[in-house]
Amino acid sequence: MDTSWKDYQSDGFFDESITANGNPRLAASRAINFLKSLSGPELAERRRAAELAVREMGISFTVYSEGANIDRAWPFDFIPRVITGREWSQLSRGLLQRMRALNCFIDDVYNGQKILADGVVPAEIVLESSNFLSSCAGVSPRFGVWAHICGSDVVRDHLGQFFVLEDNLRVPSGVSYMIENREITKRVLPELFENYSILPVDDYPLKLYETLAALSPRPRRRPNIVVLTPGIYNSAYFEHAYLAQGMGAELVEGVDLFVGDDDCVYMRTVDGPARVDVIYRRINEDFMDPEAFRADSVLGVPGLIRSWRAGRVAIANAPGAGVADDKVIYAFVPQMIQYYLKEKPLVKNVPTYLCMRDKDREYVLDNLDKLVVKPANESGGYGIMVGPHSSAQTHKKFAKLIEKDPRNYIAQPTLSLSTAPTYVDGAIAPRHLDLRPFILQGKDAWVTPGGLTRVAMKEGSLVVNSSQGGGSKDTWIVESKS
Amino acid sequence: MSMLSRVAERLYWMSRYLERAEDTARIVSAYNHLIMDIPKGAEPGWYIMVQILDAQPHFEQRFRSVNEQNVLKLLVADANAPCSIPYAVKMIRENVRTTRDVLPEEIWELVNELSLFAQENASNSVGRRNRHAFLAEVISRCQTINGLLLSSLTRDHAHSFTKLGRLLECADMATRMIDVGAGDIGERSERFSTVDPLLWGALLQGLSAESAYRREVGPIVDRPAVVDFVFLAPGFPRSVKFCIREIRNELAKLSGSEEALKVVSRLNRRLNRLNKKEMTQAELHPFIDEFQVQLNNLHVAIQDTWFRVDGQ
Repeated sequence: MDTSWKDYQSDGFFDESITANGNPRLAASRAINFLKSLSGPELAERRRAAELAVREMGISFTVYSEGANIDRAWPFDFIPRVITGREWSQLSRGLLQRMRALNCFIDDVYNGQKILADGVVPAEIVLESSNFLSSCAGVSPRFGVWAHICGSDVVRDHLGQFFVLEDNLRVPSGVSYMIENREITKRVLPELFENYSILPVDDYPLKLYETLAALSPRPRRRPNIVVLTPGIYNSAYFEHAYLAQGMGAELVEGVDLFVGDDDCVYMRTVDGPARVDVIYRRINEDFMDPEAFRADSVLGVPGLIRSWRAGRVAIANAPGAGVADDKVIYAFVPQMIQYYLKEKPLVKNVPTYLCMRDKDREYVLDNLDKLVVKPANESGGYGIMVGPHSSAQTHKKFAKLIEKDPRNYIAQPTLSLSTAPTYVDGAIAPRHLDLRPFILQGKDAWVTPGGLTRVAMKEGSLVVNSSQGGGSKDTWIVESKS
Repeated sequence: MSMLSRVAERLYWMSRYLERAEDTARIVSAYNHLIMDIPKGAEPGWYIMVQILDAQPHFEQRFRSVNEQNVLKLLVADANAPCSIPYAVKMIRENVRTTRDVLPEEIWELVNELSLFAQENASNSVGRRNRHAFLAEVISRCQTINGLLLSSLTRDHAHSFTKLGRLLECADMATRMIDVGAGDIGERSERFSTVDPLLWGALLQGLSAESAYRREVGPIVDRPAVVDFVFLAPGFPRSVKFCIREIRNELAKLSGSEEALKVVSRLNRRLNRLNKKEMTQAELHPFIDEFQVQLNNLHVAIQDTWFRVDGQ
C-alpha cells in the first residue's frame, strides 16, 4: 500500500490533504500518517467496515429506475476531508453574509421591489421568472426571513480558493448524510478521534428545531412542528424521517393535513384533529397547495397558502423563496450584498455569463468547448453541459437551446476543482470534490461546521451527484494550533 | 403528543408482522424437531404448516407436489409469498422505515440487521442443515426487537398500537395452531396413539408454551389440557385469554374505543363458553372458526376507529 501513497499526485489541481511535493498538509497530517501506517489488507478491512456500517445503519437513498424505486446503500469513502478552522471561519462568515443578502432580496421582491426600481437587478428577470409567485406578494414572514434553510454548493479552485457555485433555497437535501458520515467515521477510524479536535456536526437537528420553533404563530413552549414529505418514493425520504426523528417532530404527508374553516392547519391523529404551528416542507412549492398552484398535485394540502398568508401557520422555506434560487439571479448576489448590507462579499461567486445579455451570449457561443453551460432553473446536475468533456454535436445542441431561450442559460468557466485522497479499487487516488454547507436563518443565523462533501469516484470526473455515481466523505473542521 | 392515524396504522402492522415472523419461525422449528422424533409413516404431513399459516393458495400456485422441500421453500425462502418469513421481515422494515421517528433509535438498526440477515440467508436455509440456525436466529432477532420496544418505548400511542398489533396476531396464531393441529392429531391418533403426546408437545413448543404448561398443568400432555391451556391460561402471555384481556386494557386507554370493546366482549363470552365444558373435536372446529371471525371484526373495528379518520 505504501507505493500507492508514494505515487500519489494530483497534477495541476489543489489537493486538500497532500502538497505538490507529496507531504501531508499540516491539518491533515495526523490522519494521513495514520492511514499510511495501515497495510493494504488493513485498509481494505476499514473499507469493508464502512460498508457494513452503512448497511446496518440503514443509510440509503432512493433512485428511480425503469419505473421502480430502489433503496440504495449510501456511497461513502472512509478517508475524511480535512479543512482548517481558520479557512472555515472565513468561509462561514461569507456564507452567512450571502444568506442575509438573499433574504433581504426575497423580502424586497415581494414587498416594494426597491432593488428592481433602482436597476441593480433587471426587473424582467425576476418578474418574468416562473419562480416569482405573485400570490406571495405583500406577505411579511417573521424576522423578514423567507429562506430559513439553505444548502450552498462550494468548490475550491487550483489555488485552494473557495467559490460559491449555487445557493439551494428550495428544499436542499444532504444534511442527514453529513451527520451519518461522521457516525460511520467514528466507527471505522476511532483511533483518529483521540488526537484530533474536530468540530461536532450532530447538533444540526437541534439548531433546525430552534430555527423552526421561533417561527410558531402561537407562543407555545413546544410548538407543533411537522416535516412535510412527498412520501416514501422521494429520493430524500430517508432524510425527512431522520430530521423528524432528530427534532421529535411529526413526519407527515399531504393526506395527513387539512386546513379548517378557521384557516388553521390540522393533522389527522388518533385523537382527532391537532393544530400544526410550523411546517418544514420538503416538497416543492408548486406542489404545496393545489388551490394556489398546481391543481393536479396530490401531494399538497388545499388551502395551505391561504392559511400561511393569514399567519396561522409558518412554512419553511416560505413559499416564494425559490425566486432567489435561479442561476441568473445568482450572478447578482455580490451586487445584493453591496446594496442591502453595504458590505464587500467575503466569498466569491464563480464568474458567470448570462446568455440573455447579447455580449455574454456571443462569447458563450464562441467558447462552448471551454465553458460549463447550465440551465438557470434545474437542480441535481440535470441538463448541464461540460464543454471540454462534450462532443461537437452536443455543443451544437446547446447552441440551439441557448439561442431559443437565452434567459434560461448561463455559462461559467470550467473550474479546476480541488482533489483529496480517496480509496478506489484498493489504492489511494486523488478525486475531485465539492462541499455543501447548510445555513440556517431565523431569529439567529448559523452554519454547519463543515457540510456534506461529495466526491466524483471516477478518475478526472467532476460529477459528484450521488444519483450519478458520486460518493461522499466525512468533512472535518479541525482547530489548528499553528 | 397525539399520533398520526397513518403512523398508528403502520406501527400496528409492523408489530403484527414482527409477531408473525417470530411465530412462523417457531412453528417451522418445532415441526422440524418433531419430525426427527417420530417413526416414519406416523408423522403428520408437511402440509399442515401451510394450513396453519393459511398459505394453501400460494402453495398451490407455485408447487405441484407436497413435500418437505417445497413447503420449506415457500415458508422460509419465498420473499413474495405473504405467509413467508422473508415477506414478514420485509414488511417489518417497510413499516419501520416510515415510522422510525416515533420509535427508539436502535429499532431501525436492529430491523435493518434482521432484514439483511433474512435476505442473505433465507434461500440457503431451506435444507435441513442450515434450517435450524436460521430459524433460531430469526426468533432471537425478533425477540430482541420486541424486548427493546418493551424496555424503551414510551407508554403513549406508539406503544398502544404496537401492543394491539402484537396481541391480535398472537391470539390469531394460537387459535389457528390449535384448530389445524388438533384436527390433524385427532385424525391420526386413532392409528398411532403412542406419538400423540409428542405431537401435542410440538404444538406447545410452537407457541413457546412447553415449560409454562409443565409448571402449571404437569408433564402429561393431552388434547383437552392443551386446548384448555392455550385458550384459557390466565397467566401465560401467549394464551388467548391473556391476549384478549391485555387488548381490552389497552383499548380502554384510547379515546373512541367503544366499537372495539364491544367485539372484545363478544370474544370473552365465547371464551367463557369454552370454559364451561370440554369440547369434542367436532365441536371445537366451528367454535374456533367463529372465534377467528370475531378476531377479524376486532381488527376491522380498530382500523375504522383510528386508522381511517376523515379529518373534519
